[in-house]
Amino acid sequence: MRLSTKYFGEIDCPEEEKLCFSEGLFGFEEEKEFFLLPFEGGEGSLLCFQSAATPQLAFVAMNPFSLMPDYAPVLTPGELKAMEVERSEELCFYALCVVRNPVGESTVNLRCPVAVNDRTGRAMQVILGEGGYHMHHLLSDFGRKEEATC
Amino acid sequence: MLILQRKEGESLLIGDEIEVTVLAVEAGRARLAIQAPRSVTILRSELKVAAQTNREAADEEVSPLELLGVLRERKRDE
Repeated sequence: MRLSTKYFGEIDCPEEEKLCFSEGLFGFEEEKEFFLLPFEGGEGSLLCFQSAATPQLAFVAMNPFSLMPDYAPVLTPGELKAMEVERSEELCFYALCVVRNPVGESTVNLRCPVAVNDRTGRAMQVILGEGGYHMHHLLSDFGRKEEATC
Repeated sequence: MLILQRKEGESLLIGDEIEVTVLAVEAGRARLAIQAPRSVTILRSELKVAAQTNREAADEEVSPLELLGVLRERKRDE
């Protein structure tokens, strides 16, 4: 299908790659369909969830595991059932990013990742209860932490 | 701020129409039952913050492509 996007102009997107968020995203409950599109040069770690219905609505997303290799999101049994899997490990996870100026002050939301079932195209945003993750992790902190442990 | 202690099975009233009952307290979690008129919105507090964070995420201040620079820097450090 032909899609008007916030970042990539008009592009073609295969209908079967459309992700279905039956509950929308928090604060955007009416937005049920998104495409996950990678930014060129991001090596799969920088992407965006582009709304299928609203061209100007897109959420910048990152691969949380590339930021925090030991990131371990665990969904509740009810969430797993809604996602049609038995274990959280069967899902892909993406963290939404608040892009700030200057860009080093940008934050990622590791507490509310978007979980995607690659097999079915089902997706949902969750609020993790465990793990001590926050909604505003400073992006610039990740590099520093790694340096500290080296 | 009013702070109250309630045991399992006890409740409290907020105004005339809202009643909050503590059903159980287990492993650091309180299970609550809330009786309120349909017109009253009841949300887990973190849901409101999550929605606000998403609204911020939908409204970026600079091009997301600038994040590529940050990501590359991290890669170099490793």
